[in-house]
Amino acid sequence: MNPLLAQFLAEANDLLASVDEGLLQLERDPGDPELVNEVFRAAHTFKGSSGLFDFPELTRLTHAAEDLLDAVRGGRLALDSGMADDLLAAFDLIRGWLAHVTAHERLPASAGNDAAGLITKLRAPLGGEPVAHTQATVAAGIAVIDAAPEWLAWFHAEWLTETAAWLETTSSTMRFVRYAPDSDCFFRAEDPIHLIRQVPALDKLGIVQPEKWPAPEEYDEYVCLLSFVLATRASLGELEYLFRYVPDQVQIVELDAGAITRHLSGEPPLHVEEMITVAVTEVVDTELAADARAVLTAAHRALEINPADGAGLRAVAGTVAAAAQALGVPFDLTDADHAAVSAAVDRLLAEAAPAPAGILPTHPQPAAAHPQSAAAPAPAAAAPAEPAGRADDPGGQVGTRVLKVDQEKVDKLMELVGELNVAKNGLTFLADAAEEEFGSRVLSRRIKDQYAGLHRIAEELQSAVMDVRMLPLSVAFGRFPRLVRDLSRRLGKTIELVTEGEDTMADKDVIEALGDPLVHLVRNSLDHGIEPAEERIAAGKNGAARLTLAAVADGDAVIVEVSDDGRGVDPVRVKRKAYEKGLITEEELESLGDTEAVDLVFRPGFSTADQVSDLSGRGVGMDAVRASVEKLGGSVTMRSRFGQGTSTRLRLPLSMAVTQVMVVSVAGQRFGIPVDLVVETVRVPAAEMGHVLHQEVVVMRGEVVPVLDLARALDMPWNNDAGADRAILVVNVNGQRYGLLVEQFHREVDVILKPMEGLLAYADEFSGTALLGDGLVLLVLNMKEVLGLAARVA
Amino acid sequence: MTSETETTGARVLVVDDAATVRLYHSSLLLEAGFRVDEAANGLEAVEAAMATPFDLFVVDVNMPKMNGYTCVETLRSETVGTEAPVLMISTEDRPGDADRAYAAGANLYLVKPVSGDRLVRIATMLTAGKGMSA
Repeated sequence: MNPLLAQFLAEANDLLASVDEGLLQLERDPGDPELVNEVFRAAHTFKGSSGLFDFPELTRLTHAAEDLLDAVRGGRLALDSGMADDLLAAFDLIRGWLAHVTAHERLPASAGNDAAGLITKLRAPLGGEPVAHTQATVAAGIAVIDAAPEWLAWFHAEWLTETAAWLETTSSTMRFVRYAPDSDCFFRAEDPIHLIRQVPALDKLGIVQPEKWPAPEEYDEYVCLLSFVLATRASLGELEYLFRYVPDQVQIVELDAGAITRHLSGEPPLHVEEMITVAVTEVVDTELAADARAVLTAAHRALEINPADGAGLRAVAGTVAAAAQALGVPFDLTDADHAAVSAAVDRLLAEAAPAPAGILPTHPQPAAAHPQSAAAPAPAAAAPAEPAGRADDPGGQVGTRVLKVDQEKVDKLMELVGELNVAKNGLTFLADAAEEEFGSRVLSRRIKDQYAGLHRIAEELQSAVMDVRMLPLSVAFGRFPRLVRDLSRRLGKTIELVTEGEDTMADKDVIEALGDPLVHLVRNSLDHGIEPAEERIAAGKNGAARLTLAAVADGDAVIVEVSDDGRGVDPVRVKRKAYEKGLITEEELESLGDTEAVDLVFRPGFSTADQVSDLSGRGVGMDAVRASVEKLGGSVTMRSRFGQGTSTRLRLPLSMAVTQVMVVSVAGQRFGIPVDLVVETVRVPAAEMGHVLHQEVVVMRGEVVPVLDLARALDMPWNNDAGADRAILVVNVNGQRYGLLVEQFHREVDVILKPMEGLLAYADEFSGTALLGDGLVLLVLNMKEVLGLAARVA
Repeated sequence: MTSETETTGARVLVVDDAATVRLYHSSLLLEAGFRVDEAANGLEAVEAAMATPFDLFVVDVNMPKMNGYTCVETLRSETVGTEAPVLMISTEDRPGDADRAYAAGANLYLVKPVSGDRLVRIATMLTAGKGMSA
């Protein structure tokens, strides 16, 4: 894809997001002029940038949206939700188009039809289609030739009359092409028929035979004698691109109704010879002269408006001198005063005669009274050999301040950092081997020095790459304004969404994985938590509910909180429900406090909604949220005050890329346990182990800690030496301490955890694998599942 | 007529809030041998102009923070006092827009999209003899 288009797509994405967000805010606060301005500017920028490409429908649609927003900005219209819907629909359509452009580099074929209805809707509040204003802007880049070339006569007069009438009604133009292939074109691998067949939006094709066919015996089938004339609605850019290899055999003109009518009425045609002259030789000089005159005209106007001197006057003098130089009439205007510069401009304008009308038929003459007409673009049609813009040119990449990088590349980089770490760790094993197997302490020391240097670089590299992966939480929050708007409308509730701390950064994997749990929590709030307005007012609350999404960094974790001021969780109802579902016993029904009761909603199979709603998940409850958050290495807690609201707090690691694990061995196998679960490691003499019922326990600082045999839980045969000290790893899972009986402790290592794949994906007792420096694959335990297993085998 | 070497290195500041337009204008000018800097709004442009002397400014009209007119006025004010030519390029083509630009101190007002050839031609003309030889 050409870099300009790629840049446009990236920018368009940001613009779309800000338009969406702005419109949603506007609907709530229609009077805010700053907001209106912001949305207007985004739409405006969009229109401006889209004009660089051949996406006329896109320009037209954004233009209609811009006009509507301009009217709102100017206070001529009040934005209502109908208009907001239309605007949102327009930008949704554009989003779809851009996806198509991303894949195919052009708009979908249906774009014109899709846009038409929306444009009418957007224009309706403004009193329908505006007067020619749209047309003028859209056609601004294309010069319309008002004299037809003589080869237009090859088209049927009847068809031309019809076409002229049609162009008149639609006040549009049509491109006419004459393609006269060289007689030896076949020998240069040119294929005229193939080219013609590729002309987009072809309206009429005429094949022109030679005036006289050669005699049969002289006929040479390898000589091209035909030429073609065609009429198309394709843009100039498309045509220039299509015929880019045969520019000297092609003439392209753009004609409006007037030009065709004048041709039909027998006005002297624009001679082909002249067209060729324009295209090939005179063009540079004449255009430069025209530009110079435009500068002079502008200077003339500037001097009239601005009587001031100083920097402004010296700048004008400078441009006048440059223009004079370009016209071949050098003037020295250093230190000239206002009058002297004015006099020079007048003289130059009088002297520099405009170009003969025949050579530049399309270029408006600069007139002092209309300086902006001098600024009209150069006549693209006059120079078919030269593309008007260089939008297709892949060269000239400019350094921008922000580099947008494909996610996959960053992932790949992270993977390589992981492998580098593994290779680096291999050096320590090599150092040990140097000493133990080869008996060279010196070599061992040198390897260790080398390792230390490499370690430092690898760590820096790792943190640099992790930094690249950090994204603001606004990425995860971005979808909610729209979601909340749409859902609250459907539910008939009035809800104000507040987001806080969107700038907080977290690893992209965390942000991505956060999406689903957040959607679930927000939907829960909208569906169950927040009451209908009448109920709220009856309860003495504000009719409009408030839903807050907040993020805050906390050390190496990020806390995301979803809170509402809805009805809160009814602990009594929750307990009864849990009891009915057999999740708690009758005693628990009596004894559970309110906090514990609220916690019940996280139990698998619990759902308080009396019926499965359209909004919240079907059969997937808070337990799914807890599971996916815990899978990320985070935790979730819920606080609720009945009648006042609910707040769910997710605590997530800032980064999932690197996990610190403690390595232990059991029955000769090594396993990893996430360090943040580990409380301490202890060695307990066999005699101090106690029993409570059938459970082995150890008493530590007065607390009784149950001890689980990890080998048994994992079903690995291992006979513990009865008299030896017990190595016990104390972990904290869900606020409860457990001792794990292991064979041996090893060190802590930083690993890049890879998820279990394939058949192993079902082995829930492992949260992933990591490659160690000596090539060993370490299985990292999912402690919650392991404890469950231990409980089952006990 | 100016030769390639004379204009090599003339410094241009491209001011536009739309990154795509900025890229379009910059790449055209870079390719033509100019040294190009970019600014995303009027304020950035003024800051850049105070730090570096430019030989030409290409300025958009509708921008956040500081719009093109104010930007050009500030460039011409005593604080900055640049005498370099200013091209204003805008999507707006309403009567009076060009006059507003000239009143602010711009030297030429063009309506988007400006063909690449034309932009380079005008920039070359207005910076003839400026910049260091290659």
